[in-house]
Amino acid sequence: MKTENKTLNIAGKKTQLTILGEGPPLLYLHSAGGETEPIAFHHKLAEKYTVYLPAHPGFALSEGLDQIEDIHDLAWHYVDLLGELNLENVPVVSYSLGAWTAAEVKLIRPNLIGPLVMIAAAGLHVDGSPMEELFIDSFDKLRELLFFDPASQEAIDYFPADTNDPRILMWLRAREATARVGWNPYLHDPKLAGHLHRLDGPVQVIWGRHDKLIPLAHGEYYTEHLPNAKLAVLEECGHMVPYEKTDEAAAITLDFLGSV
Amino acid sequence: MKFFAFHLMPWDRLPDDFAEKYDTAWTWLPNEMFDPEHGGELYNNYLDQLVLADQLGFDGVCVNEHHQNAYGTMPSPNLMASILARQTKNCRIAVVGNAIPFYDPPTRCAEEFSMIDCISGGRLIAGLVVGGGPEYYSFSKNPTFAREMYREAFDLIIRAWTEPGPFEHYGKHWKLKYVNPWPRPIQQPHPPIWIPGAGSRETIQFVAQRRFAYMGIPYFHMDFFQRNFDMFRDECEKCDYTTDPEQLGWLLPIYCAETDEQAWAEYEPHLWYFVKKLLKGLVVFPPGYTSARSIAGIQKGLQQFMSTCETREDIEAGGYAIVGSPDTVRQKLSERIKKLGVGNLLGLFQLGTLPHDMTCKNMKLFAEKVMPGLREEMNAALTS
Repeated sequence: MKTENKTLNIAGKKTQLTILGEGPPLLYLHSAGGETEPIAFHHKLAEKYTVYLPAHPGFALSEGLDQIEDIHDLAWHYVDLLGELNLENVPVVSYSLGAWTAAEVKLIRPNLIGPLVMIAAAGLHVDGSPMEELFIDSFDKLRELLFFDPASQEAIDYFPADTNDPRILMWLRAREATARVGWNPYLHDPKLAGHLHRLDGPVQVIWGRHDKLIPLAHGEYYTEHLPNAKLAVLEECGHMVPYEKTDEAAAITLDFLGSV
Repeated sequence: MKFFAFHLMPWDRLPDDFAEKYDTAWTWLPNEMFDPEHGGELYNNYLDQLVLADQLGFDGVCVNEHHQNAYGTMPSPNLMASILARQTKNCRIAVVGNAIPFYDPPTRCAEEFSMIDCISGGRLIAGLVVGGGPEYYSFSKNPTFAREMYREAFDLIIRAWTEPGPFEHYGKHWKLKYVNPWPRPIQQPHPPIWIPGAGSRETIQFVAQRRFAYMGIPYFHMDFFQRNFDMFRDECEKCDYTTDPEQLGWLLPIYCAETDEQAWAEYEPHLWYFVKKLLKGLVVFPPGYTSARSIAGIQKGLQQFMSTCETREDIEAGGYAIVGSPDTVRQKLSERIKKLGVGNLLGLFQLGTLPHDMTCKNMKLFAEKVMPGLREEMNAALTS
């Protein structure tokens, strides 16, 4: 598959961008896990689209976290990035931290984002359904938190094996970049819920039934309060939807994007 | 040479199955375990111990700040220091320190420290700290801003003490139209400043450049302290001066009894309560608290942390605690103080379950049979 790696300068922030596949453009906004190298889910999307896969500031080789103080700064970064790529009304597939970011971008520049897929999205505080603590050190506990089957090979391979693993520095950088925008308020924007009625474009919400980090109630809240949203719930699936239900999530995504 | 009695004010009643049932003595440890009636007794015992230190001729007492944990139940060291300002007569009162990113605005710290300095007649030592890793969870303070908040708060506090008010402060984290703290400290231009550190070069350079005092954060292997104190001396030389030993402090648990054997027999269960229960969860690095590179590097230092100890021999070999008869304690301390080149010894004489009477006995033996000779010997050694 055609793959291109670029380094962009987005308002002074060095930004890693991977471009994958051929076809109409699609922007993918990644999660706190930092899936900035193409994964199987991206490849599925790239069969029909040219997938733009940027790394958020502070993730992978992207810099400029010192210019990011909250989720709004991150959203404005993507306003700049979409301008640089000359993209408007572009379909966006977004996951967790990325889905929260996508919602914030669409609020401030509704014309930039077209149909939107929000997978296991952060961004809300839902009374009675608190998000679990993401910022813990134990990989075993994180595996339990994030995966439906923490014993699967996928779950084991996902995290660095120990502190000698070469991925550890990138992992720590990703954690820091997530904490920058998501420490307090914890992985949400208190004002976002009040703005949801303004996000009136088509939205496909996708959630794992057994998401422990961000419970399904958040997906239901998004779906009920977005004017034009539908929800797909995946069984035997935790927070790691693109990894645990690659084919199903990709099929729902492509169906939705093809139908709007 | 100066001798200080350091107190954490720890909780002494963690359950026997604590190790199996709980991952940490911090942040998430259910506060139902704190019994307020018993807490009141402990606080009063602990204050009595620090007042005793003054009566026994210690140069100073130390209190410190921690939140939502069993290791140190002293969320406001300033409350304790203000009681001690009244109840002690001669000793220095070192607050090591206030976690200034959590003070909103940080000028509160300047104000409270000034009050303590006034009440005590100018006996305060002002410790300014960034706050422990776990406390960024306890306060939901974003740790990726910890260092820049610390620097902003630090400079603001120094200005509040030294510049006539009112003045404006428009920083990144605090915006204050009027900075004009009443009262001002007795000690001019401001109380002596102590900054604790766990070995990060950035902190060591900062303290050396400003000629403040660097306190070695405890529970590490002797070699780890040696490296850090040597690094500090090098940094002072780079700033064109030679370190005054009183710019360096070394904190460690000390227990003295009549004989070596008795000391170990009395002390050991309490030491292990401290090591295996209270230290659990202390070393946490939330994201961004230090750089990713430092966190990766600190793992190495953690292999020399006290909680890795399993036996009495491990404790003795690493110098994690000094335990024995007055002669043994004096001899070991003398050797190590000379080697480390420190001018302040911060003894932790109570560390959790150690009962009040044994703590007092420990302090008395130390003050009467160790301190005078050691003081003389060190003063001679340090001036020679």
